[in-house]
Amino acid sequence: MLFSVFTATPSPLPTAVPGANIFSSPILLSVTIWVPVIVAAAIAVMPNPRGRYDVLMKQIAFFTNLGLLFIIFVAYNQFQNFLPTMQYEEKQSWLPAIGVTYHLGVDGPGIVMLMLSGLVGIASVLASLGVRERVRSYFALLLLTQAAVNGAIVARDMFVLILFWGAAIVPLALLILGWGGPRRTSAAWRLVGYWGLGTGALVLGTMTLYAATGGTSFDMDTLLKASLSPRIQLAVSVVMIVAAATRLPLFPLHGWVRDVLAEAPVGVTVVVAAAASRLGAFMLLRTVIAAEPSAGHLLSPVLATLAALTVGYAALAALRTSDVRSVGAYLAMVPGGITVLGLAAVSPLGIAGTVLSLFTGGLAAALIAAVCATLAERAQSRSLQVLAGLAARMPNVTWLMIIAALALLGIPLLASYSAEVMVFFGAFKNQPIGAFAVAAGLAVTAIALAVLLSRTLFGAPNPEAPGVSDASLGEVWYLGILAGALLWVGLFPGGPKIPGTDVPLFDPGLISQMAAGLSDMSSPYVSPTPGAAQ
Amino acid sequence: VKYAVLVPDAVVVATAVVVLLAGRLGFMPRAAARTVPAVVVVITLIAFGVELWAGATLGTYFGGALVQDRFALFAKAAALLAAAAAIATADWTAEDVLSIGLAMPLLAAFGVMVAASSADIVGLWAGLELAGAAGIVAVSLRRPDLALRLLVAGGIATALFLLGLAFVYATTGNSDLSMIRAVLLHAAPTLPLAIPVALLLAGLALRAGLAPFHIAAVPAELGASPLGAGLVLGLVALAAGIVAMKLAAVLLPVPAVFSTYLSVLAAVAMVGGGAAALAVRSPRPRMAYLATSQIGWVAAGLASHHRAGIAAALFLLGAFAVAAASGPALLGRAEGGEAAIHGLGGLRPARAAGLALAMLSLAGAPPLAGFFGQMAVAAGLAQSGQWGLLSLGVVGSILSVAAVVGTLRVLYIQSPLEESRRGPSALPAVGGFSTLAAVAFCFVIAGYGVLSNPILGLADQGAEALGLR
Repeated sequence: MLFSVFTATPSPLPTAVPGANIFSSPILLSVTIWVPVIVAAAIAVMPNPRGRYDVLMKQIAFFTNLGLLFIIFVAYNQFQNFLPTMQYEEKQSWLPAIGVTYHLGVDGPGIVMLMLSGLVGIASVLASLGVRERVRSYFALLLLTQAAVNGAIVARDMFVLILFWGAAIVPLALLILGWGGPRRTSAAWRLVGYWGLGTGALVLGTMTLYAATGGTSFDMDTLLKASLSPRIQLAVSVVMIVAAATRLPLFPLHGWVRDVLAEAPVGVTVVVAAAASRLGAFMLLRTVIAAEPSAGHLLSPVLATLAALTVGYAALAALRTSDVRSVGAYLAMVPGGITVLGLAAVSPLGIAGTVLSLFTGGLAAALIAAVCATLAERAQSRSLQVLAGLAARMPNVTWLMIIAALALLGIPLLASYSAEVMVFFGAFKNQPIGAFAVAAGLAVTAIALAVLLSRTLFGAPNPEAPGVSDASLGEVWYLGILAGALLWVGLFPGGPKIPGTDVPLFDPGLISQMAAGLSDMSSPYVSPTPGAAQ
Repeated sequence: VKYAVLVPDAVVVATAVVVLLAGRLGFMPRAAARTVPAVVVVITLIAFGVELWAGATLGTYFGGALVQDRFALFAKAAALLAAAAAIATADWTAEDVLSIGLAMPLLAAFGVMVAASSADIVGLWAGLELAGAAGIVAVSLRRPDLALRLLVAGGIATALFLLGLAFVYATTGNSDLSMIRAVLLHAAPTLPLAIPVALLLAGLALRAGLAPFHIAAVPAELGASPLGAGLVLGLVALAAGIVAMKLAAVLLPVPAVFSTYLSVLAAVAMVGGGAAALAVRSPRPRMAYLATSQIGWVAAGLASHHRAGIAAALFLLGAFAVAAASGPALLGRAEGGEAAIHGLGGLRPARAAGLALAMLSLAGAPPLAGFFGQMAVAAGLAQSGQWGLLSLGVVGSILSVAAVVGTLRVLYIQSPLEESRRGPSALPAVGGFSTLAAVAFCFVIAGYGVLSNPILGLADQGAEALGLR
């Protein structure tokens, strides 16, 4: 079923999504960006003498994210997967002197990313309920970060993309500096450095496209659909790969990942590992694979190499690390490598796998990093030499950690299984060495996970370890949301149906919705069918 | 009606003279600090409004000595807005002499206005000197030694500038800017032209505090009162930038004689300013180096010798002037190093927000005015194929943003110091008007970017008015 969705061209007729297009709003995507900004500003100026309204601020942040998730879910539900064009599009001239338009829109991959961001938003607020200091500043910055991530997802103008892509850096750095762990200063500077480098690369790539297309517009419809010389395509693609590699991250531009994911407060770790870092692959899909097919073909071995190095390095580093949060941080790099392998496959199936793995990889990365953080917090230690035999005393964390491990490895019944199958099936055809290397890296990842689980959960308890408590209700909820989404999409990739019919019950299915626009993206990579020429 | 265009100039000068006389004659006691700045700000904003309303009328005045075009409109409006913002946000308990503190920004703004509407090289020089002299006076109120240093540096700048102008006059036989341009249309980029241009640019770079010529301006900015620092940092640099733009437009037929110099200066300023901002920790020096980095972007826009680049540089110069003139003023008395602003976000939220936005804008962080300006300059550089300069500018911006993150951490994350540990500096005074002004400044600096369409459009018309096609 999965293969048929992606190998067939979309049906010219509407699929049976009851009520599709009933809900529409000309500013729906703007709402996902500007509502968090407005709420952040409101929180920032609210008087809060001696932390009197800390709880209220947490509630405001929670209900803002809940509202956003509802809006995004309705948009996802009403999304018309048979249309190859952008949906919920907004287009206003912004800076006509240099050709900037306030152009927003989502296609299949975009709605998948938006759903991921919505889920992660609510999970990050739940993960942040334990914040006690400077609550007002924390939630204002968190909301600004979420707004920037949403903006980068829905941007259809490269100028707007750069704006939101770069806008996440300052609030994230402040969140880490203000509420992070012992090595927070190093983590924040690394984040600023690497993400700044990525933003710079994105600016250079965009300006190259802008100049090559006559300097009239930053709109993606102009920049990414122009016929460029192979040399320019190659130059732009290399720069865009650098930008994506700093964000995803890919080896060797991964220098921020350990410090940031291990030192940031858990709520921030969730946002960074899940949505903010997936933007790298999402941008790569849009600007290189979908837009520059010649360069995509040429650079696919490079992408495969980067994917293999990333997965291999992450697994080996996780094996050699004795800090449980650092292990989680390194393991969170693995899904990014798999996502990029799908892009390197330069085939419709691989690209479809990539889109699905944006969602599943984001959730899996966030889950493993967050569950390791929760484990360290609840066990009052980050050292693998100290943590042992916790399963009996932390049953909730144990279950969630096992689900995280299985999600990373792509075990059936979890959504990452579908994604990884598509990625590997796509990649083994075009990038067999790269696919084999990534698979070998996954095997090492499995060893690293086994070592982690056996040491921390199933070994003999350490009598000298500090006191341990299981995850709180809030922690179970936020980790449960991440794990539940992986299970839900794994069990119902096409959405649950009304019994006896093909009509979706309430969720049209991520697999169905993400197909919109995919055939256009992957059309340059469709292999000629034998006999089609006759 | 024709002379309504000159009303803002007249109002600004008259206000400055009245304030100076009132101070000299003893009509301005210390208590007047509560009301007089507000009155001056309102008058300046009225002049700003008149400029926007009447300034759209094109014309020439005084036998062609002054020209009112879109470029003049933009530059004059930027000068008035920057002066109003600096005076409004100033912490008057940190200023030394009220009357002079109020008058000097107005005179500096007037200098910018003269240079912006000047049709010949003499007017350019006069406007630049007036703005520079106002800066020296403002610095001398607190640190006569630094004012003397600034005076000497200004004298060297003037000498270089005048030598350059004299050579250009000798080469082209004209002092009128449009005539010089007409002559250069048929001229070759020769060494006799390149040498005076180098002298001109060195003089302007010294005035603007552009690295590596910032060695005179930066110490003065650090030692002056907050408003004095803002004046040197923002308005004097604005005057130098305006003069540089008019000269760049004149020299555009022979870009070879200036673009290399400008590119080198811009590269050094963008990267050097960003690196220096990262290396220091005190907010005032950090702001000075951020300003140096951003003025480097303005120079890069000029070096693009492309209409879009020069329009973008003009747009950025406006954003720069507002942020750089008001930044030190927002800092107020909290100037004793990084410790002075610990926890300022909680203690003085409006001022801290203004300070944060001013620094972020100077660093080019999205989505503020500086970001839009730098991106517009970047687009101009891309169109003219100056990839090296663009790359260095991006590096400079990354360094600048990293530097600002450090200050934001101190402002918002660190806990306030106890009074006994705060040292010689004090918190900025709390005043209804200055708090309101700080909030208004936040809206201006955010609105300049987000609502930048008409502003960039006007800057584009300004570049067109300079004869760029």
